[in-house]
Amino acid sequence: MTAVLLVALLLASGFAAQSGVHLQDGIYTAITDDQAVAAIIAENTVFSVTLADPRQIGGTDAYDLIVVGGEAHAGPTAKGRAALSAFATTYRHYTGAVYTGESDLFAAYPLWIDTVEVESRLDFDATESGEIISAVQRGDTVRPSGPVEEVPTPSATLAVTAEDLREDLAAAPADSGTVTRYLGMFSDGPDLGEFKTPSQLSPPLPFDSLIYVFVFIFPLYFTSQFAMMSVANERTDRRGEILLSTPAGPLTIICGKMLPYFLLMILISSAIVLVSGGSFVVLLPLVPVILFFLAAALLIGMTARSYRELSFLSIFFSTVMTSYLFFPSVFANVHVISLISPLTLIVLEFGGSGFSAADYLYATALFWLSTALILWLCTRNFNEERLFSQERLTSRLRSFIFSAMSRNHPFASLVAVNALSIPLVFMVQLMYLVLLFNLPLPWSLLLLILLAALTEEAAKSIGIIAVWRGIPGLFTWKNVVIAAAATGLGFLVGEKLLLFAMLSQVTGSVFGAVLFSGVGLLWMPFLLHSAGALIVGAALKVGGRGAYVPAILLAAAVHAAYNLILIGGAL
Amino acid sequence: MNARHILTIARKELRGIRNERTIVLAILLQVFIAMFSSFLVVGLTTLYDPSSLGGLAGGYAVGYAGADSPLDGLLEEKGFSVHHMDLSDAVASLSERKLAAAVWVPDTPPDAAEPVKITLYTVKNDISASVTGTRIREALETYEGMLRDTRSDRLDVLPIEVAIPSGSGGQGFFIFIYGLLVPLLLFMPAIISASLIIDFITEEYSARTLETLLSTPLTFSEILWGKVFAAWVLVPVQAGAWLILLAINGITIANVVPVLLHVAVASLALILIGAIAALHYRERTSAQFIYSTALVAVLLVVLSVPGNPVNLVVLLAAGTAVPAGWTGLLVVGGGATLLALFTERYARRIARTTTP
Repeated sequence: MTAVLLVALLLASGFAAQSGVHLQDGIYTAITDDQAVAAIIAENTVFSVTLADPRQIGGTDAYDLIVVGGEAHAGPTAKGRAALSAFATTYRHYTGAVYTGESDLFAAYPLWIDTVEVESRLDFDATESGEIISAVQRGDTVRPSGPVEEVPTPSATLAVTAEDLREDLAAAPADSGTVTRYLGMFSDGPDLGEFKTPSQLSPPLPFDSLIYVFVFIFPLYFTSQFAMMSVANERTDRRGEILLSTPAGPLTIICGKMLPYFLLMILISSAIVLVSGGSFVVLLPLVPVILFFLAAALLIGMTARSYRELSFLSIFFSTVMTSYLFFPSVFANVHVISLISPLTLIVLEFGGSGFSAADYLYATALFWLSTALILWLCTRNFNEERLFSQERLTSRLRSFIFSAMSRNHPFASLVAVNALSIPLVFMVQLMYLVLLFNLPLPWSLLLLILLAALTEEAAKSIGIIAVWRGIPGLFTWKNVVIAAAATGLGFLVGEKLLLFAMLSQVTGSVFGAVLFSGVGLLWMPFLLHSAGALIVGAALKVGGRGAYVPAILLAAAVHAAYNLILIGGAL
Repeated sequence: MNARHILTIARKELRGIRNERTIVLAILLQVFIAMFSSFLVVGLTTLYDPSSLGGLAGGYAVGYAGADSPLDGLLEEKGFSVHHMDLSDAVASLSERKLAAAVWVPDTPPDAAEPVKITLYTVKNDISASVTGTRIREALETYEGMLRDTRSDRLDVLPIEVAIPSGSGGQGFFIFIYGLLVPLLLFMPAIISASLIIDFITEEYSARTLETLLSTPLTFSEILWGKVFAAWVLVPVQAGAWLILLAINGITIANVVPVLLHVAVASLALILIGAIAALHYRERTSAQFIYSTALVAVLLVVLSVPGNPVNLVVLLAAGTAVPAGWTGLLVVGGGATLLALFTERYARRIARTTTP
C-alpha cells in the first residue's frame, strides 16, 4: 500500500509540475480591444481575458483591468489596482522577452545597475527613533557627521560580455507565476552577479522566505508526529511497561526512541539541501530545531490522554512553532528581529550572505536550552506512575514539574525550576516581540508590557502551584514568603544569566527593558519578581484554587505597573 | 440506518472533544491566527505600500555623485530630495542613515555603443530599502526608457506599447491575502477534521470499546456515520469563525455562503478519505501516515486541475464572478457521494466479517 501511494505521489507531483498549480487562476478579469494585448495578458493565468471593444459593451466597471487603445486602466476597486500591478509585471516580462532577443543588447538594455550595499548599524534604537523617518532630511544639505572613508570611483564599464549578460537575462524566470518563481530560488537561477537591469532591481520581498519554512519545516513536523504517536501508542497499549522493566534507564530509552526519528529528519533535510543545491551549512541551524521538535513530541506524547488530544496539541504546537520560525524570517535582510528564528539563518545562507557564529548563537541558543529543559523534564517523568495515569492535561503537567523537584528541598527546587524556565519564557516573549514590534510605538510597548507581565507571572506561579499541590501542609505564612523569595531569586538569576550571555542586542533597547525588566538595580527586579510570586502564593493560601486566576491577573497588573512607571521614565 | 443513532454517536464524539478542553486549544489557535492576519495587515502593508506611511511626505534624501544626467530630475519627480555631493561623503552619510540611497553616474553619452553603468549604493539590512527601493527602481526604469528611445534606431523589433499608470503597488498583498492566506485558513479545518476522524475510529479499536458500542442497538455503519458527521460539522463552524476573524481584521470575503458550501463539500471528501484509511488500518500511526501521504497526492492533483475547488474558493472569496462555480460544486459533490457510497459498502463488509 505504501509503495502504491509513493508511486501515486510521484505521479501526482509529476502531473503538478507539468500543469502547474492552479490556485489563483482567473482571479482578475480583464478586457481589451487588441488581440496582441490579449495574448500578452493571457500569458499570466491570474487573468481571464475578454477580447471586445469596451466602448461597445458599455459598463467596464465589471472588469479589474481595462486595456484600450494602448492604455491600461485599473478597475474601481482594490482588486483592480492589484490587477493593474499584476499586468505591469506581466507586461515587463513580455518586453523583457522581446528585448533579450535584440541583436544589439546594449540598445535594448542601455542601463545597467551595479548595486553596492553599505553596512550600517540597524538595531532597535532605529525602531525607537522611527527608522522610517530617519532618512528624511529636514535641512538643505546632507553632511556625514562621522569620519569619511575614501570611496574609489566606480568604473564606467561592465566587466562582463554582452553574450554572458544575454544568457543570464534569458535564464531569468519569464513567468510571474508563484511556483516557477519559488522554484527559481532553489535552482541555480539567474546569476546576474552584481549587474542588473532596472527592472531586476527588486526590493526584498518578505514572503519569498515563506517557501523555506514550508520546505524545511513540514517534513520535520510530519516526522515528529510519528515520534509523538510512537510514545502515545506505548502508553495506550501499555507496551512501555516491558521497556521500563529492562535495566535501561529512562534517558537511554528516550534517546533510543528518538534516534531513528532524528536520523530520518536529518536525512530528509539533507535530501532537500541536495535537491535545492544549497550548502550543507543550513543543517546547522536545523539541528536545534529538529531536537526541539522531538523534545516537544516526546512531551506531547507523554501528556496527551487520547488521540484527539494528541491531534489538537500537535496541531497547536506546530502552528505556534511555524509562526515562531516563520514570522521573523519574513524580515530576513530587513530587520535584526529576524535573527530570533533559526530559519532566518537558512534564508541568509540561501541568499548568499551567510551567517556568523554570533548570529548562530543568538538564533539557536533558546532552542538548545529549551530542548535540554524539556528532555530533562521528560526523563525525570519517564516512569510507570506518570506514563500510565489518566490525569487531565494541566494536572499532569503540574505533576510532571513536581516530580522534577526535590521533596526534601522544596525551596531550592523552586529556585532551580524558575531559573530553568527562563529559556521557555524568553521564547514566548520573543514571540510577542515578533508579533507586535511593528505596531505603532506606544501600542506595541503597552501590549508587550501587559503580555510579558502576564507570561512571567504565569510562569512563576507554576513552581508555586506544583509545590502547593505536591506538599499540601508546607505553606505556612512564613514558608509562603520564603517560597516567593526563592521564586523571585530563581527567576532573576536565570534571566540575568541568559541575558548577559546572548540577548544583548534586544536588551539594549527599550523593548528589552519592557520584556525582561532590565531597568534598575538588581534588587528592584528581585523584589518585583518575589512580589508577584507572593501575591499568587498568598492568594492560593487564602482562597484556594479558585483564587488562582484572579491572583495571576493581580500579579501581572502589579508587574505591568512597575514596568510602565520605569519605562515611562525611560521614554 | 437510524438518524437518531447517528446523532447520538456524533454527540458523544463532540462531547469528548469538549471534555478534554482541547477545544480551548482550537480557540487559542484561532486567536493566534487573528494576530497573524493583523500582523500581516500592519507589517506587510507597510512594506508593500510605502504611501501608507505618513512619515514619507517630507521625502527621502538621495545622494547624487558623478556626471549630470536626467536621472537627477527623475528622482526628484519620485519625491526624493536629491543632494549633489562627493561620492565618499555620500557613502558615509548613507551608512549614518542620513540618506536612503546614493547613486554614481558615469559620463557615458546616451547614444554610446556601451551601456550606461550606474552604481547604486543602498543600506544593507534596512527596512527603508524596501520602502524606497520601488521608487528608485521606477526612476531608473524611466531613465532606461529614455536611453532606449535614444538608441531605438538600433533595435530590430519594438514591443507593442501599452501605457501603464505608475505607482501601482499592492498586488503582492492582495494576492497573498486572497490567493494564499484565505484558502489556507479555510481548508485547514477540513484537514484537521480529516485527521480527527482517524482518531475517532482508531481509538475505538485501540481502546477495544467497539464491541461494547456494537452490543447496543447501534449498527457499525451508524457508528461510522455519526463519527463522520461529528468531524464534518466542525468544518463550517471553524471556517465561519475564520471568516469572521478575517472580517474583524478588515479583510472582507465576498460570497460567504457559496464559499462555505464549497469548503463543506470538499471537506466531506477529505474526511471520507481519512475514514477509509482508518477503517482499513484500524491503527492510528499507519492510518495517519497513509492519510497524510494520500492527502499530499490528492492536493497536488487537485491543484493542478484548472477550476479546482481551492481555485474556486479563491475566486469566490475575492469577489470574481465564477460562471462554472456551481458545476465545480456538483463535480466535487459527486466525488464525495461516490466516496460515501464506497465507505458505506466497506463499512458493511467490515461489519459482516467482525460481528458474530
